[in-house]
Amino acid sequence: MKKKLIASLLATVLTVSTLAGCGGSSGNSTQTNAGSQTETAQDTAAQDTTAQDTATEDTGNTQEAAETAGGDVTIRLFSNLPDRKNGQGLVEQMIIDEYMEANPNVTIEVEALDEEAYKTKFKAYAMSGMPDVVSIWGQPSFLDEVLDAGVLAELNEADYADYKFIAGSLEGFKKDGKLYGLPRNTDIMLFYYNQKMFDDNGWTVPATYDELLELCKTIQGAGITPVAMDGGDGWPMACFLTDILVKVAGTDYAEIIRNAVAAGDFTAPEIREATQILVDSAAAGMFQTGYDSQDYGTTMNLFTNGQAAMYCMGSWDCSMALNEDITPEIRDNIRAFTMPVVEGGKGGAKDIAAWNGGGYAVSASSEVKDEAVKFLNYMYQPDKLSKYGWENGVGMSAQDQTEYLTGNETELQKQVMDILKEATSVSGTPINDCGPSVFKTTIENEIQGVSNGYTSVDDFLEAIGNACK
Amino acid sequence: MKKLYSNKLVIFSLVLPGVLVFLFAVLAPIILSVYYGFTDYSGMGEAKWIGWENYAALFHDSAFGRSLLNSLLLAIGFICIQHPLAILVAAVLDKLQGRAEGVFRCIYFIPNVISVAVIAYLWKFIYNPDFGLLNNVLKFFGYQGKINWLSQQNAIWSVLLVLIWHGFGWGMLIYYTGIKNIDPVLYEAASIDGANWWTTFFRITLPLMKPVIQINVTMAIISALKQMETVYLLTNGGPSNSTQFAANYLYQQAFKSFRYGYGNAIGVVFILICIVTTVVLNTVFREKQDA
Repeated sequence: MKKKLIASLLATVLTVSTLAGCGGSSGNSTQTNAGSQTETAQDTAAQDTTAQDTATEDTGNTQEAAETAGGDVTIRLFSNLPDRKNGQGLVEQMIIDEYMEANPNVTIEVEALDEEAYKTKFKAYAMSGMPDVVSIWGQPSFLDEVLDAGVLAELNEADYADYKFIAGSLEGFKKDGKLYGLPRNTDIMLFYYNQKMFDDNGWTVPATYDELLELCKTIQGAGITPVAMDGGDGWPMACFLTDILVKVAGTDYAEIIRNAVAAGDFTAPEIREATQILVDSAAAGMFQTGYDSQDYGTTMNLFTNGQAAMYCMGSWDCSMALNEDITPEIRDNIRAFTMPVVEGGKGGAKDIAAWNGGGYAVSASSEVKDEAVKFLNYMYQPDKLSKYGWENGVGMSAQDQTEYLTGNETELQKQVMDILKEATSVSGTPINDCGPSVFKTTIENEIQGVSNGYTSVDDFLEAIGNACK
Repeated sequence: MKKLYSNKLVIFSLVLPGVLVFLFAVLAPIILSVYYGFTDYSGMGEAKWIGWENYAALFHDSAFGRSLLNSLLLAIGFICIQHPLAILVAAVLDKLQGRAEGVFRCIYFIPNVISVAVIAYLWKFIYNPDFGLLNNVLKFFGYQGKINWLSQQNAIWSVLLVLIWHGFGWGMLIYYTGIKNIDPVLYEAASIDGANWWTTFFRITLPLMKPVIQINVTMAIISALKQMETVYLLTNGGPSNSTQFAANYLYQQAFKSFRYGYGNAIGVVFILICIVTTVVLNTVFREKQDA
């Protein structure tokens, strides 16, 4: 009898511990959902509540519903900016803190991951329920599938009439005329160069592509790498190709790419010419040895260490001019120019490759949608994201920033601002982000092979065309 | 106690966690994988049944072909370069005795202790054409050019070298343990009969190591097929898929290209290849054993 009692007792204990194990793991996953990297004071309290609740049901939702009923609101923000102490992440956090101070009943819980991890988890969330406010990219390669899945809430475009968005910057975030997100930055493709190195050697900024090639030859002769190119990642080279194509096709760029993606046919003469220019430039030694396998950091270091005379990248790297890890001799001498004109091309010097990439959206399934939209609108008030971004040297926002000039801008910042101000046309989305994500991965892989001469231009165009079908 | 274990409730509660883990963490995902392999699922929204389309596409996918070829190259590299070296080194270590044995055993095993991420970045720097160790050593010996170790043509060999180097310690350690288990009396008898080192190695060590070699070779081939982390961090399959491996390609397709269905189809083919390889290897080795 005694043994039987022990046996049933043991069995009960085992069963309970197994169930508790399941309950525990469910609790943990809810905690992660609720934001494992939260920065808020109330975070601990929220986690405690979750931890106490070992039931297997989705505690997050119950909790949220209860809070809404009680007047307290928790907004979950899923961000692609894990560094909360610098740059864009700091700006985001500043606004969050301000908002919570102004609205004591609102708690904003942040979960932040690096871009690639972010995109992967975004997908997982799309299946299991999105956080309320999320980072997105206003480009077909990201947004098409997301909008098809219907996970983002529609925004009322009329609400943003006074938000000073730059004309056309909302286009990438729309589908069938409906707005689903708001852009955060304006990105411009640039050649950064070392002014002092140029002056010392008597080099001048090229006005045409032929001059650029000539300059590269001279720089190479001096034993320096002409242009540092992050070819290992694929996308910077695709942006470079976009830049050339803008000079070849001018304002027809967007239409040519749109047609090519729609038909899965990239054999348009402009695209072929631009690709050929890229191939010839690489063959002429414009980039460093092994550019097609080197990553972002290594490439940037080549330039910031003075081993390369130029560096091809987007305007987000303007913060180099404020980076204390770079020696002042180089840091203070960084300047930029845009892609020089291609002979016979339709694009002028002021037709630039620029676009509005990252931004924010609200989840369609959010239980606190109204509050989430309210917070989104708060972030985008012109004196928030835009102003704080500028003050922290983050780069240009997608809103008019002229009011917020401090007078302490770096030469580079001013130069880039002028480039945008004087632009006669901007390209919109770079080529690799114009198609479905299969197209994006294909072109970013294949561009390495075509630029290093392994694949022919024809095969390259065919491969990227097939990826659109 | 005996009665306790014969109580069905106790048996049930002890077996249940294991069965649950197997059902939900192994079997269910595999079944789901097979299902999604037949759909055009993007990872979000609706999954549409498209039959064998993914598999047909896979058949024509040159990048997938390339990744299988690379796995094969790696397996050959493991079997023909890494393992013979590992056996030799293990045999030599066994003969070293004393402190040197421990020191060298440690040194050879160090690469396995270091995280894959560190290994990948370490080699990335070693291979860098501008400031990498390899080119600087060549420069020291008077070679003035810059060799691009990770170029389209060279990258796969450079990656294989890293993988072979990295896995060397494991192989060696298992062989070493195998050698240590050989009865020293046999060596004594051989030396009394006047056998030299090579004869003892080929006549005693190698034949008695057969079971260890079998396990090691099977594991090497499976690890060649499963290769992902080092490649992902070192080249991510580039330039232009020249160093692509199946697991990395699967990841790219499923999570970067939003082709979850296609990624699952790759996964299914991948599992089949792994199963077939294991069965074939087992059969080959069993036949040898029977003979």
